[in-house]
Amino acid sequence: MGVRKNVATLSPGELTDLRDGFAAAYQLSDDRGYAFYAGLHGLPLPSYCQHGTSLFLPWHRAYLYFFENALTDALRGARDDQTASVSLPWWDWASAAAHADGLPAGYLADGNGADNPLAAGPVTLSNSDLQLVRENLPGAITDGPNPVTVRDPSPPDELPRQQTVNRALRSTTFQSFTMVLEGIHNGVHGWVGGAMSAVPISSYDPIFWAHHSMIDRLWYLWQISPLGADPPAALLDRALAPWPMTVRQTLDISTLGYDYAAQVIG
Amino acid sequence: MVAATAARPGAAEQTLVVDLRFPGEAGATPFTRADVVFTGVDHSGLSYEVRLFLNNPTATADTPRTAEHGYAGRFTIFGHGGCYGDEGHCDVPPATADPAGMRPPHPLTPQDTYVTVTDALLHVLADSGTLQTVTLVPVSITPRQADRKPAPELLSFSDVSLHTYLTATEADAE
Repeated sequence: MGVRKNVATLSPGELTDLRDGFAAAYQLSDDRGYAFYAGLHGLPLPSYCQHGTSLFLPWHRAYLYFFENALTDALRGARDDQTASVSLPWWDWASAAAHADGLPAGYLADGNGADNPLAAGPVTLSNSDLQLVRENLPGAITDGPNPVTVRDPSPPDELPRQQTVNRALRSTTFQSFTMVLEGIHNGVHGWVGGAMSAVPISSYDPIFWAHHSMIDRLWYLWQISPLGADPPAALLDRALAPWPMTVRQTLDISTLGYDYAAQVIG
Repeated sequence: MVAATAARPGAAEQTLVVDLRFPGEAGATPFTRADVVFTGVDHSGLSYEVRLFLNNPTATADTPRTAEHGYAGRFTIFGHGGCYGDEGHCDVPPATADPAGMRPPHPLTPQDTYVTVTDALLHVLADSGTLQTVTLVPVSITPRQADRKPAPELLSFSDVSLHTYLTATEADAE
């Protein structure tokens, strides 16, 4: 792994690597593939994700870590190139560009008709789960066999504003920071609409990972700010199932082998 | 603190009006931050947002989100979208009384959340001297934009309270 960048600044080659990584992961039906990782968040049961608790940020940091590694593995396998790698970019939904254009261009269907693996993800579930999703969440996935995720975004200016993000970053305790940031996170899920609007299938949409990379980056920025603080001591040795990690092991991203680009020059 | 059961239906029975008063019986106290705190918020169904309006008991989903209309902020719940297990799978058991219990809470254990309403509270206090009501306007966040609508059936919580503070730092006031 390496440096996670703003999706708006990815080079054509980096965007191709990202798309090829997702496409390769879609092809794997075992516990290395996209369906496996997407399914750990919600459906199929059991659902492991943490929401509304103080484990929200650590759990999703571990989730991104393992998925990002799996993407690189899939890309290397597909290209038969052990030097290939891919990092998860972040989608800065508070930026002026997002408030003008909405979803990042790299995650939209290509105008030339070519498939973009980042525009929708396959929803590989049992027929009974698919039936329940269609009954409970109409419009979240496409009809028919081999469904994929659907989006129905709100107007771009409804995305969170930088001043809202700044309010979170001025939090003085971990509990208040995570609660405010999770609330912002919830709003973006709803803003994207479609599959992203509900816990059970949100992680089947490729934009999920760019959204959570942004959330993870904001946690990192708060951690290194003067106000940053660790979670309560009682949480530090809590396990983050199904990941073989504790909360404590998620706190320093340098030990996880990635970093966030502070800025992109040139 | 006001129990959810004490809330009354608002406009067209699509909202909830809570008698949440400030100053309370203890009289006016200075504050630099005010939060409306909810406990026991349900997140088992569709995602939804709840808009808060102060001293505007007739507010609806169509009310502009402006200070002039008492708008104070909103919270968003990322919902589980229904139950996908067998019968009883989504029934939240009582919290364990076993101090050595290692099992995590049920994933659908109700959440607590809050909305910071400092500016809106200052606005209504300057305007009318007291806070009388907080109107809760729940709106569904369905996958399709076209399906979104007022959704009082989604909002379930235990109680709501107003917390005012004199904060130690400017950052705390945010």
